[in-house]
Amino acid sequence: MRKVIAILPLVFTSLLVYFLTKPMGSIPALGKLLDPVVGCWASAESVNKDYNNKLQLDGLKDGVTVSFDDRLVPHIKAGNDYDLYYTQGYLHAYFRLWQMDLQTRAAGGRVSEILGDKALKFDRTQRRKGMVYGAEQSLKAMEADPRSKQMLDAYTAGINAYINTLSFKTYPLEYKLAGFEPEPWTNLKSALLLKYMADDLTGYTEDIALTVLRDMLSPEEFAALYPERLHGVNPVIPHDSVKQTASLTAPAIPADSIAWAHLTATDFEVEEEGKGSNNWVLGGSRTKSGKPILCNDPHLGLNLPSLWYEVQMTAPGINVYGVSLPGSPGVIIGFNDNISWGFTNNYRDVKDFYAIQPTSATTYKFAGKEQPYINRVEKISIKGKPDYYDTVKYTVHGPVMYEETFHGPGGLKKPIAVTWMAHRPSNEVLALYMLNRSGNYNEYVAAIHNFLCPAQNMIYADRHGDIALWGQGQFINKWRGQGRYVMNGTDSATLWGQNIPVAENPHAHNPAQGYIASANQTVTDTTYPYWYNGYFYEFRSWRINDVLRNTRNATVEDMFALQNDVYSVLASNVLPVMLTHITPNEITDKERNYLNMLGSWDYRLMAESKAATVFQVWWTNFYASLWAKRFGKIPDQLKPSPERTMQLLKAESQYLGNIKDAVVASLRNSIDSLEKLKKADRLEWYKAKNTSVKHLTKLAPFSYSDLKIGGWGNTVNAAKSDHGPSWRMVVQMGDAIEAYGVYPGGQSGNVGSKYYAAFLDKWVKGEYYKLSFYTADAKPAATYTWSINPKNK
Amino acid sequence: MKQTFIVSLIIIGLGAIFSLFMTGMWLAIVLPSTMMIAMQIPGRRAFGGGFIGVAFLWLVLILIKDVPNHHILSSRMAGLLGLPNSAMFILVNVLLGGLIGGLSGWSGASLNKAFRK
Repeated sequence: MRKVIAILPLVFTSLLVYFLTKPMGSIPALGKLLDPVVGCWASAESVNKDYNNKLQLDGLKDGVTVSFDDRLVPHIKAGNDYDLYYTQGYLHAYFRLWQMDLQTRAAGGRVSEILGDKALKFDRTQRRKGMVYGAEQSLKAMEADPRSKQMLDAYTAGINAYINTLSFKTYPLEYKLAGFEPEPWTNLKSALLLKYMADDLTGYTEDIALTVLRDMLSPEEFAALYPERLHGVNPVIPHDSVKQTASLTAPAIPADSIAWAHLTATDFEVEEEGKGSNNWVLGGSRTKSGKPILCNDPHLGLNLPSLWYEVQMTAPGINVYGVSLPGSPGVIIGFNDNISWGFTNNYRDVKDFYAIQPTSATTYKFAGKEQPYINRVEKISIKGKPDYYDTVKYTVHGPVMYEETFHGPGGLKKPIAVTWMAHRPSNEVLALYMLNRSGNYNEYVAAIHNFLCPAQNMIYADRHGDIALWGQGQFINKWRGQGRYVMNGTDSATLWGQNIPVAENPHAHNPAQGYIASANQTVTDTTYPYWYNGYFYEFRSWRINDVLRNTRNATVEDMFALQNDVYSVLASNVLPVMLTHITPNEITDKERNYLNMLGSWDYRLMAESKAATVFQVWWTNFYASLWAKRFGKIPDQLKPSPERTMQLLKAESQYLGNIKDAVVASLRNSIDSLEKLKKADRLEWYKAKNTSVKHLTKLAPFSYSDLKIGGWGNTVNAAKSDHGPSWRMVVQMGDAIEAYGVYPGGQSGNVGSKYYAAFLDKWVKGEYYKLSFYTADAKPAATYTWSINPKNK
Repeated sequence: MKQTFIVSLIIIGLGAIFSLFMTGMWLAIVLPSTMMIAMQIPGRRAFGGGFIGVAFLWLVLILIKDVPNHHILSSRMAGLLGLPNSAMFILVNVLLGGLIGGLSGWSGASLNKAFRK
């Protein structure tokens, strides 16, 4: 008996330890997490941490020096290309491993391995849209060129050199929280990451929705509400550019009965479309210094760890500075000794859908014959559950994304296949390799012609004074209307035709107007010879063009101001119209109080403006009221665009119904929301919209919210609630390059580091860091230095 | 009482050295029971000694990380566990270590008693 009792404490201890070392549901193993030696505490980095280091790494060819400046931006100096990308991989992994691991797993549909079956639908979607298939295609192209192959091999080796040093203790905290482990990096993962970006930027589509809307509305009505091209735009390629000629003739338009499919989905799932970007460049004729100034602010998800990692990379033949994407080698947006460049999303439609007519379980109808599907079995591992096998049927058009076993939007069961430029082989890594080394306009053009998907408006300036922009990507010579709606997949006339030669992509080189600006607007005017459609946004472009048209003697400070501009073109156009429909003696006192706030408003969505909140709430309700009758439950994103609505409103279009009724009703409806905001002390615009920079897990203690920043998606400073300027850059291309930048994050991905969100304050305030760009022979002023040498040498 | 104090001091000292190559969890499990068996300490004092020793050991190990970190990590972790501030998080963390240490010490003492003739 004594012995039995003696066992009891042992049992208690064992039970406690058992529960502490075992994860329960989404709660991690607390014993491991709270272990003072190897748990979360290992991530508590001293604020005075000495980053100086001497490393011996396996596989490096020569010595490398990394000089970190006071913001922890590394300036890598290597003796050859291999070592350069090896070191970049090592640094990315050292500071950002968890994020690049998670993002590539997400790209490839492998989140269920970590989160269990709640992520199964997401993973199946990724697999069914062909993310892994596309990455495999591109990887073949990347590994076929010795330059990009070496770049990827070196980068992967550098990442793995770091991963191999890790133990549980040194894992990034998020691995301990979610209970998974880093795995070896591969070149395919880098390809997947680039497809992740391609999906983010070209994945958005309205084809299915427009198919239903077209059948729902009369042809006149549809054309008025959803014009193929909006009039009154400032296209990316200025009107005074050299007109593009076409070497290909447009394919014949098939009869409607052959071309189109008809769908019956009535309910739409639409993702919030928040991506946008601005870039512009001023030629020397418009700047004070007489040298070009290039500006770029890509708007992407505002996340921590940040999407971007700042770096300078120097080796024989290359000296480049800018932001890189952890997971991909090279610099994406930046400048070198001679040129600077930036990207905005091009938004030409490169993703089309086809209705498939199955003839049996294994065949479908195409060109009058039965064709067999090519099956690709996707194995999805699920944490705590048996593996799931999803058979994806590949047709001549591409993978069947939706079908009976995987419904599309609104329970759509009809088999729909997707043709997508991201499925085709392309070598964006080579494009970056060449672009990072380009010294002049011709080299830049040769470099970017390898960049096929996601299509980007690639802006350019150099020290010789040249400015340029290319709407670069691989596009298809389409017949008029092709791919705007879901097509009939049984006829070969609907297949994608020839590639448009990339040299015939829209471009402008030193246009007479002295500047070029892109902000996701319509790419060209009607003189462009090839037909295309897309998802274009005009408000920011209208504003930027209005400002730049009148800009002379511009300084970098003027450019800072424009990047942080919060003037709402929408408000300045619609609010005066809305107010004319208000009869003062027909409104309540409360309504009058709010309207009074708008009286002296300058249409700027300033952080502390209450008028901005009143307008935004009222406009949202007004827009919904205007279209309520015609569109019923259809979500806002699929209603006629705000740009088109604004034009119709100013023209008092018959399609809008009774405008006065909508104005009055929407004002009445807005009062409740406004009163609620007022009571909660959230009437100031920045509180009402709540711009947040969230950790990728969305965990609030790792995130920042209620940031005091103005603007909205339709102002130049496009700070929405979870999307916004992810990197603001201004570069003046003088004899010495003068560059400024800031991003809403920090160089370290470690939530326990003071560098985790170190730049956020400056970003919120619209301030910039002067970037320390060292010439190839200069010795950087280093706060910390890493001396890296090959092992066994 | 004195014995408890000495035991906890030894745990802290040894623990600080062993922490270089052992996890905090293993220290909390192994050290107290071994100590109690070796030093033939009876039940209640064994629990107390283990508790105080490990709690203090963990506190030291935590403060070594937390103070130079200016509580950046502990504040965030406190938020994750719904605790008001980093001090509370450290307290919870330290009590957890104490509990493991106490149980381990008690186990050691019981084994001692059971197998002693």
